[in-house]
Amino acid sequence: MLNRFNLRKIAQCVALSSLVSGTAVASELVITFDDLNPDKKLAFESAVEAFTRAHPDITVTANNGDREAHKSTIRNALQNDAPDVITWYPGNRMGPFVDAGLFMDISDLWSSDENLSSNFNAIKPTMTRDGKQWGVPYSYYQWGVYYRKDIYDKVGISEPKTWDELLSNCDALKEAGVTPFTIGTKFLWTAAGVFDYLNLRTNGYEVHNDLTAGKIKYTDERIRNTFAKWEEMLDRCSFVSTHATMSWQDAISPFANGDAAMYVMGNFSVGQYKEAGLTDDQIDFFQFPEITPGLPRAEEAPADAFFIPAKAKNVENAKKFLAFVASVGTQTAWNKAIGQLPPNAKALINEDDKFIVKGMETLSTASGLAQFYDRDAPAAMAKAGMEGFQKFMLDPSALDEILENLDKVQAEVY
Amino acid sequence: MENSQLGNHYRFATSAKQVTVAGLILLACLFLLYFVISTSMVQDLFGYSQQIHARVPTFFIRLAVAIVAIGAALYFITGFSFYKRNKIAWAPWLFLALGLGLFMVYVIIPIFQSMSYSFTKWDGLYDINGVWTGEWVGFHNYKLLLDDPNFYTSLKNNLLWLVLYMLAVPVGLFIALFLNQTVTGIRIYKSLFFFPFVISQVVVGLIFTWAYNPEFGLLSEFWSWFFCETKENIMGNLTRVCSVEPPSILGNEHSATYGIIAAGLWPQIAYCMILYLTGLNNVSPDQIEAGQLDGAKGWKMLWYVVLPQLKPATFIAVVVTVIGALRSFDMIATMTQGGPYGSTNVLAYYMYDQAVGEGVGRYGYGSAIATVLFLIMLVYISYFLWQMYQDEKEAH
Repeated sequence: MLNRFNLRKIAQCVALSSLVSGTAVASELVITFDDLNPDKKLAFESAVEAFTRAHPDITVTANNGDREAHKSTIRNALQNDAPDVITWYPGNRMGPFVDAGLFMDISDLWSSDENLSSNFNAIKPTMTRDGKQWGVPYSYYQWGVYYRKDIYDKVGISEPKTWDELLSNCDALKEAGVTPFTIGTKFLWTAAGVFDYLNLRTNGYEVHNDLTAGKIKYTDERIRNTFAKWEEMLDRCSFVSTHATMSWQDAISPFANGDAAMYVMGNFSVGQYKEAGLTDDQIDFFQFPEITPGLPRAEEAPADAFFIPAKAKNVENAKKFLAFVASVGTQTAWNKAIGQLPPNAKALINEDDKFIVKGMETLSTASGLAQFYDRDAPAAMAKAGMEGFQKFMLDPSALDEILENLDKVQAEVY
Repeated sequence: MENSQLGNHYRFATSAKQVTVAGLILLACLFLLYFVISTSMVQDLFGYSQQIHARVPTFFIRLAVAIVAIGAALYFITGFSFYKRNKIAWAPWLFLALGLGLFMVYVIIPIFQSMSYSFTKWDGLYDINGVWTGEWVGFHNYKLLLDDPNFYTSLKNNLLWLVLYMLAVPVGLFIALFLNQTVTGIRIYKSLFFFPFVISQVVVGLIFTWAYNPEFGLLSEFWSWFFCETKENIMGNLTRVCSVEPPSILGNEHSATYGIIAAGLWPQIAYCMILYLTGLNNVSPDQIEAGQLDGAKGWKMLWYVVLPQLKPATFIAVVVTVIGALRSFDMIATMTQGGPYGSTNVLAYYMYDQAVGEGVGRYGYGSAIATVLFLIMLVYISYFLWQMYQDEKEAH
């Protein structure tokens, strides 16, 4: 499963010859990455190549593996054969590893590196735990509603700004025989996206954070309000009926076929819409509409980041690599290649991609950035929570039972 | 008389040379093993200390040293006089020693380790110094289990699996009876019936998941012959409109488990069938003939003459079916991952889900589930071992 991209041999020769001439001492750097999708893999490899060019004295070994497998292998990697740099998720997902002392505190890098200390203010809180910084983000992306512009035009409706506009759009779509929303909840997390937005728009950023931090109960009146909005959405803006058996990719087919008109999703999905035959003219993006008037708008913006394991052997090289990843040039090139947004405020974005432009606008004007329900909440809570969301979508009448069970899990997990 | 006693005495004497040589080799090996493990000297020697394949050369060196150590230990023990005098009693244990050792390390000790974890709250991590990060919570996890609806769902599903999976035995028997004839090409039919057992569980799971899919599955194709018509949607694309929606078997908490069991039965029936087919080969034709002379046919012949002779096959069929039902993990993992919302979990999958899956990391809780599962299986295993023991006794 490990796809090894190995520059060791060449670099060894170089190192050997330099040893002979006695000019430089070779040192090593082992990086573990977790995305085998062609564009992501290529972007990572080009970044590593650029790093090797900039630091010819460092021998880089880059390992790349499957993302889902990485979620379980990282435990072993951090405790035994630690690489020098490893990918993982910020927010609460890094919590267990930080608490067990398996990630290295890199606050010194954040304060000493000019670029990191000045251009990453928006995302810095996400990388912070116990007042210290633990990683460097290389990419993030926006969430929102992706919709079929051509269907909207045909039905004669426009992008909704408020909850009521959304509901009346749904009525019009249903009238025309179109299911308003598509979704595939087989792997649960897609439902969490809908919940997060309803919660962020009904109660705001603070409540989202307090809920995922275990400070608010699920039976709290405010969370019940969120679910009431969701029930309204299920009722008037129905979702495709077979969502529990579909993955998020499966759910694209009714969207592409014109049977469903909207999709609450992350920007990584755009490539898949195009693969399904849709063009830039047919699809567009709007921010999830306002529910509670006047509430500051917070957005979901999950980030991917690099960390240094506490057991890393080449810490100095690892820090050099993180500083390199944070640099304006790397952030620009990397995110252009994968169609996502650079966390570095000075980095440039691809102006030709309307989704990237809109995403940048959405996130740069947001009052707060949430990671995502399953990254902000501890994994055990997230699992139970998302199962509850799926159950609610299939059977809204079970709400009380679901919320009481979630309270029990919450009391146990935190 | 005296001579032979002397001879015996000599034969049973401890051989000082053998014991010394073997002992020294053994000590050297143990020293080497400890040395290699503790200092990673060999790793540094090979200059691989940072890479994953660093383990390979040291692993082979350790393996070689360990094998030599085991040989030396055997040679060491066989040199002593007490061994020589009690050879008959000791030899079997010497032969068993290695196997028992591995069984202890990989089966028995982990069972008790897992039980001990079930009294802790632990997220599966050791800190940087290798110190365990959990905390002791007593019976807390078991109290939680008693209050966890998912646990009861899993328990109920385990029971459903055990009961419904038993259908494979009679159905397998009847297919075997049906195929137990000499017609041209019967081998082809037999292999076709056996085919599902040959494919991997994962593939069976995938095939059924697709067949059940309410959008494009085989089942919904049939469904649309009766209840659906194809219309043009707003974008001018063809779409299916149904008067009654096709059933979403794996998406509905009430039908999902049955859907998975049905998929699991497909290969299991084939397995039981092949067991009965071989059993039928051994049915004595004399007894059949005698039965026929006495006027037995049809059900009576099957019940009183054929089935008793198939008892060993039935026993094995039941055993493998129970084991199959308890190994439902692969099917669930490929078909629903325990969903929708945990309604298709069985204890084994729920344990995995809570401890290892997706980084949930409730190792203590997962261990508590594992312990319950172990206790349930223990009942069955004890019965099975007792039955085997009884059969052995009869055979003697």
